[in-house]
Amino acid sequence: MDSYFKGRGVILVKKGVIVAVGILLMAIFAFSAPKIVLNMVQVFTSPSRTEILQNIIDQFEALHPDVQINLISPPYSTAYQKIYLMLSTNQPLDIVEVGDWSLEGVVELGKLVDLRPYIATWDASKDIVPGLMKAVSVTGGIPYIIPNGVYAKALFYRPDVLAKCGITTPPKTMDELYADSLKITDPKKNQYGFDFRGTGLPTNFIDIITTSYINDIDPNNMYKLTNGQLWFKDPRALEGLKKYIDFYKYTAPKDSINWGFDEQVNAFVAGTTPFLFQDPDTTGLLNTMLKPDQWMTAPLPIGPSGKVYPSYGFGGWGITTYSKNKDMAWEFIKFFTTPKISAYFCKDYGALPVLKSVYDSDPYFSQGVFKAWQYMFEHPDTYVFTSYPLNNKKWTEWNEYQQDTMQQVLLGNMTPQEALNKWYDFWKDAFSM
Amino acid sequence: MVRLLERRVLHVKGGAKSAPLFIFWMILPVILIISVFTFYPTVNGIILAFENYSVFNFSNIHLVGLKNFNKILSDPLFWIALWNTLWWIVLSVVFQFVLGFGLALLMRDPFKGRGIYAGLVFYPWALSGFAIGILWSWLLNGQFGFINDILMKMHIISQGINFLSDPSWAFFSVIMVNIWYGIPFFAIMLLAALQSIPEELYESAQIDGAGVFSRFFHVTLPYVSSTVFATLLLRVIWVMNFPDVIYGMTRGGPGGTTNILATYMINIVYYKNDYSLASAVGVFIITILMIYSVFYLQFTSKHGAGEF
Amino acid sequence: MRKSKKYKIFRATMLSIYLIAAIIPIYWIILTSFKVPSDLYAYPIIYFPKVLTLSNYSYLFSFAHFLTYFKNSLLLSLISSVISTVISIFSGYVLARYQFKLKNFVIGLLFFSQMIPAYLLMVPQYSMFSQLNLINSLIGLGILYVNIAAAFSTIMARGFFVRIPRSLEEAAMIDGTSKIGALFRITVPLAMPGIAAIFSFSFINDWNELFTAALFLNSDDKYTIPVALYSFISKAGIQWGVLSAGLVVALIPTIIVFAFMQRFIISGLTQGALKE
Repeated sequence: MDSYFKGRGVILVKKGVIVAVGILLMAIFAFSAPKIVLNMVQVFTSPSRTEILQNIIDQFEALHPDVQINLISPPYSTAYQKIYLMLSTNQPLDIVEVGDWSLEGVVELGKLVDLRPYIATWDASKDIVPGLMKAVSVTGGIPYIIPNGVYAKALFYRPDVLAKCGITTPPKTMDELYADSLKITDPKKNQYGFDFRGTGLPTNFIDIITTSYINDIDPNNMYKLTNGQLWFKDPRALEGLKKYIDFYKYTAPKDSINWGFDEQVNAFVAGTTPFLFQDPDTTGLLNTMLKPDQWMTAPLPIGPSGKVYPSYGFGGWGITTYSKNKDMAWEFIKFFTTPKISAYFCKDYGALPVLKSVYDSDPYFSQGVFKAWQYMFEHPDTYVFTSYPLNNKKWTEWNEYQQDTMQQVLLGNMTPQEALNKWYDFWKDAFSM
Repeated sequence: MVRLLERRVLHVKGGAKSAPLFIFWMILPVILIISVFTFYPTVNGIILAFENYSVFNFSNIHLVGLKNFNKILSDPLFWIALWNTLWWIVLSVVFQFVLGFGLALLMRDPFKGRGIYAGLVFYPWALSGFAIGILWSWLLNGQFGFINDILMKMHIISQGINFLSDPSWAFFSVIMVNIWYGIPFFAIMLLAALQSIPEELYESAQIDGAGVFSRFFHVTLPYVSSTVFATLLLRVIWVMNFPDVIYGMTRGGPGGTTNILATYMINIVYYKNDYSLASAVGVFIITILMIYSVFYLQFTSKHGAGEF
Repeated sequence: MRKSKKYKIFRATMLSIYLIAAIIPIYWIILTSFKVPSDLYAYPIIYFPKVLTLSNYSYLFSFAHFLTYFKNSLLLSLISSVISTVISIFSGYVLARYQFKLKNFVIGLLFFSQMIPAYLLMVPQYSMFSQLNLINSLIGLGILYVNIAAAFSTIMARGFFVRIPRSLEEAAMIDGTSKIGALFRITVPLAMPGIAAIFSFSFINDWNELFTAALFLNSDDKYTIPVALYSFISKAGIQWGVLSAGLVVALIPTIIVFAFMQRFIISGLTQGALKE
């Protein structure tokens, strides 16, 4: 008898559980809004940058509960290889970060969306720093990315190290820089002047010094003069290049032919080379290793031409052509490029903001170490921001070629004139002139 | 079907040892795996070498015949890399082997703390190639390097040696580091082989009056020869395809003086984004290794290396 | 036997030299992992820092959630190595003991598979795995690792099995043991030093493998240790402090594997068994 009822009781309980679970499942199914999942990849991975991006993503997700963004953070050295492979095989990816030097390559893959229709309906586009959108529209004038940070070289220096040699103000011209570096150099004490970049793609560094000797560089193409000719065979270029070599020979350690970013920072922090050209994202790094009164920034020294030609470096966000959620991806990019978020990103990461309003409203970017860049922006006739021919298919090949030939010159295996001739031939061919 | 396959393909000799089914199934896993995951992609990779697959041609990939091979053969950097590769392999492997064998011989007899000693002296193998590359680039730094500092403190040199940026030192330095890295491999393999040599062989040799060197050449060496030959062949192949150390230390610089074919190939991918061109270099590497293997196997079987 | 005093001194000296050469970098790594950031780049070089810090390690485990990577690496390396070692026992044994027509061809294939440069395989393998939906999968990576290790392990296993006399197996088989039984009950124990060496090598190779892992893994929670360490190299330079701490932590399992394996490799377990 008991067992009969127990038996029926058990069956009843079993039925009840099944029904309850069924209702629960239906409820979950019905009430869970279909989540939109976006996959986003960054290209300049570092643990702190990843944290910053994750914070921004969390804020966005809070505002859009139906969206989930997965951040992919490949190690910096293999980032582009990964991106090319992912894009070429249509791996799930919606938002792609691309840096300036590789933009043309990524665009040629044909997987980035032309952003003009999106930009047309976007008010904040007017707030972007003038000239920047044009600079990022590398391929045929079409914008495939929205910039998220600007990089430009400035002069970093060690006031404490320089004071020991009686130098109290930073040099304003290339000649002064050279004279100061020479003054302070004393190989026996392992003290040198100029933080030379020998490897790791020193394109910027070579060009900054060399072009400062020429006063009619085309602002749209670092390697051409305003009359459309390449300047490599111009005698002023030879003068500039020779000076660059002198910096290596007389004011920098011989080892610096092998110095990349890491060694440059190392030498600067150790005080071995108190003069350094670098991007604003170096500031965060220096803050962890030096005390505030140990380092300062100044505008780039002006060359004998009365000018200097820094370039705009940039990175930005693009949308993949095969993304299933292009509109939501665009929402995120818009969100990222609002003053508050942009300021947060740039402050922590050290890039220069892309929005005018940030400069106007946030004093952080016009004071202290950022004053140097502000000054350069405000005097565009002297500090002429120039574009590299980034849309050229041979751009990344050029970086390696220039580095290798430059090293040959520094090793004494090639004369500066020979190198300049080779560079002339390279660009003549690359520009199909 | 399987029986047919075995009889036709495997042609197993008769006798107590014939067991075609057994052989087939025992070999199958490894052959199947490497066929699917190595050989099939390799065929595709080789085809790539004859195409124009680069990031810039993505929408228009087609066969271009021998264009990539011509391009490489006319690049002076290729020839430098080729020459370097030869030296890289010969010096690295010879010294890794000799020093590794030496270590194995020294360690063969038990001594107190041998276990811990083994853990410590073998650990370079435990580091990844990339870790070693950047670690040693730090240690050998011309300004702040540990090695330079010690040498200067011991008054052996007065100014730092630019181990990695002086062309006359750079190649030597990367080879040294490669040797340092590879010693444990030979030491461990040879130690394991040495352990299996029966003591009686040595005893009877001693009774016959054989001296230390004679014992070594007539007992030790022949006994471990099969291990030796296999490890040497493998090691050469690995060292050829081992760019990590160089890439971490010098990236092939300065001025391409420390490039080997493998780093040359990496740089093509990184700077030119031209996978086809890189694959062409890969084809060269494979060809060279195959030629080497053929000669090596001829040589070792002629000199009675035992069945091989 | 050869234990004359001169030899002992000679041996002690040589062993010390090898040891010092091996130890210097690891001392440096350990030292760096405990340095404060401002000491890292200081010149003159600081050998005995006044201030030591655990901040690199705490950073590693909290901010950089190193435990996840550790777990991924451990599972991946262990499982892949076990599988590839077992596979190698099968194929290595057969290649050592039997003659058959295609034997040299098979051995040639194994060697050939080692010759293929990684960058040649990169694009084809990625496309293949993309179609198999195995990108960003630790299982996919595991398959690739077994693939990398299986051929090498087989070649090595063959080398070790060849030296073990057949007489013992044949004796067992006459007694009625199956071929597989003889393999695992007689031959394998005798070849333990070699098998242990093979396992250690595959484990270490898998543990340190960077290139394939960095390419095939996307999500942070799937990363292995090498990829995580590689992430400490960014456009903004190398974080030496944290990287060193990571290297130290990454070394611990490999040293354990060594310690465990050397029990087999060095202790001469086999010597007794071969006395007939």
